[in-house]
Amino acid sequence: MTTPQRGRHIDCSNPLETAVLMDYWLADLSSAVEETVEQHLMSCDGCGDRLRGVIALAEGLRALARSGSLQVVVSDQFVKHAAETGLRVREYAPPRGEAVQCTVAADDDLLVARLAVDVTTASRVDLSWCDPQGVERQRMADIPVRVDGGTVVCQQSITWAKASPSATMVARLLAVDEKGTERLLGEYTFHHTRTIPGPPGWEMP
Amino acid sequence: MYAGLSDGDLAPRIAEGDHEAEAEICRRMGPRIRLYGLRHLRSPSAADDLVQQVLLKVIEALRNARLREPDKLAQFVLGICRMTVLDLRRSSNRQKELLAIFGGDLVPDPPPMPTLDDRQLASCVQALKERERSVVVMAFYDEQTASETARALGISEANVRVIRHRALQQLRDCMGATQ
Repeated sequence: MTTPQRGRHIDCSNPLETAVLMDYWLADLSSAVEETVEQHLMSCDGCGDRLRGVIALAEGLRALARSGSLQVVVSDQFVKHAAETGLRVREYAPPRGEAVQCTVAADDDLLVARLAVDVTTASRVDLSWCDPQGVERQRMADIPVRVDGGTVVCQQSITWAKASPSATMVARLLAVDEKGTERLLGEYTFHHTRTIPGPPGWEMP
Repeated sequence: MYAGLSDGDLAPRIAEGDHEAEAEICRRMGPRIRLYGLRHLRSPSAADDLVQQVLLKVIEALRNARLREPDKLAQFVLGICRMTVLDLRRSSNRQKELLAIFGGDLVPDPPPMPTLDDRQLASCVQALKERERSVVVMAFYDEQTASETARALGISEANVRVIRHRALQQLRDCMGATQ
């Protein structure tokens, strides 16, 4: 990553890297670098145009992240913050090896599964979504996990869940070693009952 | 007429009473000040207000020849931006007073913001690797720093930065960005 150098003549022959512009937008630069970036932007319309592109991408990502439509592993703090900011969060936390009845309502914003698990001995953890016969339908490989957390928090797409008919899904957390050998860390069954009208049949997102 | 002149070249002309040079400075500086406002005030309307207030102060200073080194016009404008943002944070009343006095006379139309295909973006984000998607979602949901995201996900801050940069590059490629 390069940053503009203080004291140099700045024009668009010395453009700011896109990564620097994104860090600038996220307020993630040191104050000294931020000052240099701002001096550059105050005299360089080319980089200003590129910053507008970065802002558009950032705003699009923010809207997408807040839409609840992504399937993604998040943190406990993320879910708490979402609830604090007014989002309606529906959470299910089946104990390891057990099942839970679940559904979603039309006014839910986020759907979250909390999977209690001990990952202290795992170097890599995969989350496998299977049908009731044990056939894997989707795998989330090498998910981020806090070794000291004791829980994997997975946001399921609320868009997909609202459209899904009644069905059973099995989530499996697997430790995967360097040779690809898998070890079951936990299994959790979700019996989803549809409460919103929609078409029959579904596919994993 | 002014295309070949630098920003600094325009400053002495304003001191000599050249109103076209004033308009040119406003046209050039307005969008740059607005970007600064978007970054620090996080609101398009507040950024527009900042443009008005900063340009007003800049033009007033240039008319009175208070900028001794025209080549440092960008730094001068940036300094006024900083002071004005501090003022805005201290007192929204002052902002209202200035706006009531000067209205929208000084604000050039901002350049349009690029638009994104939301469905394509969702598809591109879903195609990221799990760690990348987690970092991107958590970083942008409420604009977390790398440090905050690192604490939440239990990975190092440096790793978060690497993952975030890599993911954003992939997203830009996926969305068809050229730079």
